[in-house]
Amino acid sequence: MNDERPPPPDEPERPKPAFAPLGMPPAPPIRPRAGDIIHTGPELAVGEADVRSAERAEVVTGTSLWRDAWRRLLKNKLAVFGMIMVATITLASITGPFLIKQFTGLTPHYIPTDIAALKSLPPFTATDGSFSWLHPMGTDNQGRDLLARVLQGGQISLMVGIIATLMSLIIGVSYGAVSGYLGGRLDSLMMRLVDVLYSLPYIIIVIVLLSMFRSQTARGQLILLFVALGSVSWLTMARIVRGQILSLKNQEFVLAARATGVSTPRIIFWHLVPNTIGPVIVYATLTIPTIMLTEAFLSFLGFGVQPPIASWGSLTTDGIQNIAIFPWQLICPGVTMGLTLFSLNFLGDGLRDALDPQMRKV
Amino acid sequence: MAQIYVKQAIAGVVVVALLFTAISCHMSATNEEFFGRTVPPERNTLRYVNGAEPESLDPAISSGQHEARIYMSLYEGLVEYDPKSLDAIPAIAERWDVNNDSSEFVFHLRRNARWSNGEPINAHDFVYSIRRSLTPEVESRSAGLAYPIRYAEAFNAGGVFVRDPASNQFLLEKDFAGDEPAAAALSQKSLGTNEREYEPTAAEPTPDRDTPFHQFMHSPDRLVLPGAEKARNKLLESNPRLQAAVAGKELVKARAEDVGVEPVDDYTVRISLSESVPYFTELVAHQIFRLVPRKVIEQYGAKWTDPSHIISSGAFKLKSWKPYSEVVVERNPMYWDAGSVRLDEIYFYTSTDHPATMNLYKVGAADAVLNHSVPNAWLDVVRPKKDYMDAAEATITYILINITQPPMNDLRVRRAFNISIDKINYSKARRITKPLFAFTPEAIFVGYPQPKGEGFDPEAARKLLGEAGYPVTQKSDGTYQCEKFPADEVKFAFPTHSSNRALAEFMQAQWKQNLGITVMLSNMESKTYLAARSKLDYKGFAFGSWGADYMDPTTFLNLFKTRGGDNGSGWWDQKYVDLLEEANHTIEPQKRYALLAKAEKYLLDAQPVIPIETPAVNWVKKPYVKGLYPNPACLFAWKFVYIERDASKWDYGTPSLTD
Amino acid sequence: MLRFIIRRLIITIPTILVVITITWGLIRLAPGNFYTGDKALPEAIEQNIREKYGLDRPWHEQYLRTMGQILRLDFGTSLRYEGKSVNEIIARSLPVSATVGILAYLLALIVGITVGSIAALKQNSKWDYASMTLAMLGISIPNFVLGPILVLFFSLTLYWLPPSRWDGFPSKSVILPVITLSAIYMAYIARLTRAGMLEVLRSDYIRTARSKGLSETQVVIRHALRGGLLPVVSYTGPALAFLLTGTVVVESLFVLPGLGKYFIQASLNRDEPLILGIVAFISMTLLTMNLLVDIAYGYLDPRIRQ
Repeated sequence: MNDERPPPPDEPERPKPAFAPLGMPPAPPIRPRAGDIIHTGPELAVGEADVRSAERAEVVTGTSLWRDAWRRLLKNKLAVFGMIMVATITLASITGPFLIKQFTGLTPHYIPTDIAALKSLPPFTATDGSFSWLHPMGTDNQGRDLLARVLQGGQISLMVGIIATLMSLIIGVSYGAVSGYLGGRLDSLMMRLVDVLYSLPYIIIVIVLLSMFRSQTARGQLILLFVALGSVSWLTMARIVRGQILSLKNQEFVLAARATGVSTPRIIFWHLVPNTIGPVIVYATLTIPTIMLTEAFLSFLGFGVQPPIASWGSLTTDGIQNIAIFPWQLICPGVTMGLTLFSLNFLGDGLRDALDPQMRKV
Repeated sequence: MAQIYVKQAIAGVVVVALLFTAISCHMSATNEEFFGRTVPPERNTLRYVNGAEPESLDPAISSGQHEARIYMSLYEGLVEYDPKSLDAIPAIAERWDVNNDSSEFVFHLRRNARWSNGEPINAHDFVYSIRRSLTPEVESRSAGLAYPIRYAEAFNAGGVFVRDPASNQFLLEKDFAGDEPAAAALSQKSLGTNEREYEPTAAEPTPDRDTPFHQFMHSPDRLVLPGAEKARNKLLESNPRLQAAVAGKELVKARAEDVGVEPVDDYTVRISLSESVPYFTELVAHQIFRLVPRKVIEQYGAKWTDPSHIISSGAFKLKSWKPYSEVVVERNPMYWDAGSVRLDEIYFYTSTDHPATMNLYKVGAADAVLNHSVPNAWLDVVRPKKDYMDAAEATITYILINITQPPMNDLRVRRAFNISIDKINYSKARRITKPLFAFTPEAIFVGYPQPKGEGFDPEAARKLLGEAGYPVTQKSDGTYQCEKFPADEVKFAFPTHSSNRALAEFMQAQWKQNLGITVMLSNMESKTYLAARSKLDYKGFAFGSWGADYMDPTTFLNLFKTRGGDNGSGWWDQKYVDLLEEANHTIEPQKRYALLAKAEKYLLDAQPVIPIETPAVNWVKKPYVKGLYPNPACLFAWKFVYIERDASKWDYGTPSLTD
Repeated sequence: MLRFIIRRLIITIPTILVVITITWGLIRLAPGNFYTGDKALPEAIEQNIREKYGLDRPWHEQYLRTMGQILRLDFGTSLRYEGKSVNEIIARSLPVSATVGILAYLLALIVGITVGSIAALKQNSKWDYASMTLAMLGISIPNFVLGPILVLFFSLTLYWLPPSRWDGFPSKSVILPVITLSAIYMAYIARLTRAGMLEVLRSDYIRTARSKGLSETQVVIRHALRGGLLPVVSYTGPALAFLLTGTVVVESLFVLPGLGKYFIQASLNRDEPLILGIVAFISMTLLTMNLLVDIAYGYLDPRIRQ
């Protein structure tokens, strides 16, 4: 487990995700391990990398090897733990608010009509101070059930993470595949653009964007957030996919397809892209927690989701406000978010190890 | 192998969570007398959390309360605010005379007042300071407060006088006034017509010296036209008589020297007003009338407030200013009353984050915090503590109505929206505020016969809407609906802030419940909101909040004296303005209050606003900080503040404001 | 080599221009004005202000003027803070951010390398698992959750350390911000060190060193650690640039008067020169750091010089 290998020291032009979310360091070179090869920029000497990618291409195409990877994943206890936690939290976030409403009648936005209940109750406490199962995480300042809010906040956080990752996936995969397959001057132009975008301090631009165009409605702000996050996180994905495509495009099945007159878009998206799925899955899994963290970070600064919509980030931020008196308001959403990110990271690590045949050497 | 540690990790997380829960329950249950630690600082310093970063240390520029507090330490005025009542108490002026109708004030300065560099302070310094505050280039936000001074408005707004080159005479206001010229203040009547303008006092048996400038002040008002050509032409076109009179005449720009502030001698300042302003001595404590050092300003321009340049006139002088962190002032040994100053240093901490402020206070890293620092949700815990300050506040919260557009141009509709809000219940939920049924705050102006607007009456509200053509019907499930009401034309605009949202949501729910009308909320960035409000660029309702600039009802009522600016409703009525004017020319205080109350009632009847609540001060100070009182505007004369080390003399509870 | 540097510069300078242009455009496209205060201004005075700041000129003139100033590294005067130049504000706030950032990174290096080395040397022991789980926690727990929890314990409950504010360095006020900021870097460095050392420990030359009869301590310190630190060293360049700006959360949490705090305030205030100045400054710092790292890589690896 957890075998982190440094990037080859002779690797030119490692991607330096220019501005990782402020306060969060750039993903160090080890993280997208499957992408190591791809990290090498346009100037990469062919050699080693291509051999390795070719090897992976075989692994990925063979169905039995998928099964192999799955078996390896199951052997990794922490990854399994991560998988179970992610599944549990996702399921709870989706069904939880509904179930709570069925059993207790509480919704994430329900404010008690009784003025005495308009206050923050500690976990498992009733208005009169006695023990109660009604609010296992307590309530917030307005007396709203924190468990229901945390679960619904989970929906939003996961949704932001997944939608923005999907956006980055679509943009990144298409961009990288087109660039890699067409090659030549277009390729180096497209990759130059990626280089320039890489060095933009994007989180700063995102903050300026979100603060200047603060939407009047919560939904508008959420959409602005999707766009802002999705449109800045596709760069690494593009590089990974391009590297994969570069190593695949001269293989026999591609040459055969080309010879039989299959159209270029079809070759790219039908024959080539499916073969890059391994590293793409790994990188996407690791992108989700990064984006969720960025969303939480933006919400913390007040630029993220706006009420009445709540995410783990905004719930945590509300909790920070009351740490001196009502610490559960921070601890409940904070621990839930930390646990989710923790699990996602372990899952991502596990997937990377499972999908990388190099692993077996260790 | 790894599985063992997974279990341990989970166990660890659970243990930590439980631990926190235990601590938190323990913490909220503690019945400490005070909120946090109460260990006095080692030195005689006060660490006061002052709020936002001061925009500038130039007292002429900024209008915020947090800035005013710093100015009060650095700059001395003619008078100072009393720490409890905010009445005027002597500062550099040791006494003052007021003429019979409060339209002229003579301030007699003490002779021992000095700048922090040791140079003496005299009347010319005050004349310079006031003229400077009014200079258009200074762009003072509070210049309007000085407008009662004669020709102050003309000078500040760049107005022009009209002179006949033939006779060298200026055109006079009274020749072009409307049908009903308001009774002129004593200051406007020429000297001699009223021999006993000033009642003789023991200290001042005879009036002060007469001067050519004084005679100029005691002559009828000159006609003032707008300085900007466009605005002037517009005005002239609308008034042919005026146009004819102005044609061929010379336009003379109003100068600083025309403003009614006069150094009678080195230690006497005479201020002539264009109307009666009984509260003028309290007004003069405001920062724009405070002393600024001419020499330094002329030498360094905008950089005069740098710690290395600044010369101050107050009980303290500037030590350092670290932006976004703190302004530190230290005792000024040259101060005329330095002997009674007991603090060596004051740290004004910058912090806009209330919880962070309260944390700082709890740990004992701050000794007192600014008003409204205690978050609403914390009140249950903090309010019973003995260091919580519980007092009324000279502020109102209200809703503005844009009366220029239908359906809100109909008084019945406005009334319906007002009386369908249960303000009493709202205040209960807000815990410490008082419901407001007038446009002046509750329980602030002693002796003021505050009128009362209409109370909560949903039945009458529905009837009123029906009369206005929007019948409210009851559905089978008991809820109401108002189908004909153009709900798209009405929104509630408010600036982004969580407590504003809570207010807006409450109002929304009330209107929905009692009228069956859903008013959409429009959450605006605060700058956008202010711009929209002053340009009437909103539909229906907008949030409003106003704090007193001085302790008189007019600080609230004057909001509707002008059409633009902070009026924000589009409502303007000559009769209302006349009522205010009449009140201001009334000398007898009780009669004046009665007239002001009449004006306020007139305003409430016209209903361009929906009053909501009078907030209360809510801040905390350590029991060892003495001399700091929860006065209605939260302005403190720092020279009276000190650190008490003897615990038996500490404040246990809010110090009394009336003793 | 020179060609390589020039090639990097050719990308760097337009990037800075692009950043500033985007930022300027966003500010200008947004509704509202910077000078709208609590009290409404009379129209004549508003007009004066517009003239004073050149807001009445055509947009391209304003744009060129702004760009010209920035390229001369003169970022103008803050609109919100009378008489304070942007350069002055940056000069004043940078030391705060830099102090916190550098201290946090040093702490992260010390703790991270120690923990990472122990984990690598005792691979698959409980120490290894425990420290790597902890490192993963460090990566997964956002600093704005960690910070308040530390505050809750060490300030609000124990009254040991101040919960916020900056009293300069050295002072007690430095401790909590530095720990909060460094946690995530500690975690990354521990993981990097461990991975790097594992790689080296498996390599042939360690085997050679051992076979030459060097003591285990010597092997670890002279060979394994040195090799293991390579990825950590290569990570320093970008990480420092991030730290510089990355303190924004910590500055918000602990109310420190640093660059990040100013940037957030300036964004909320629409203080155009200040926003542009800070953005330009940060981009330049960041890109310079990247350039230096690239050059260092160039020296390390002769291949890319061609």
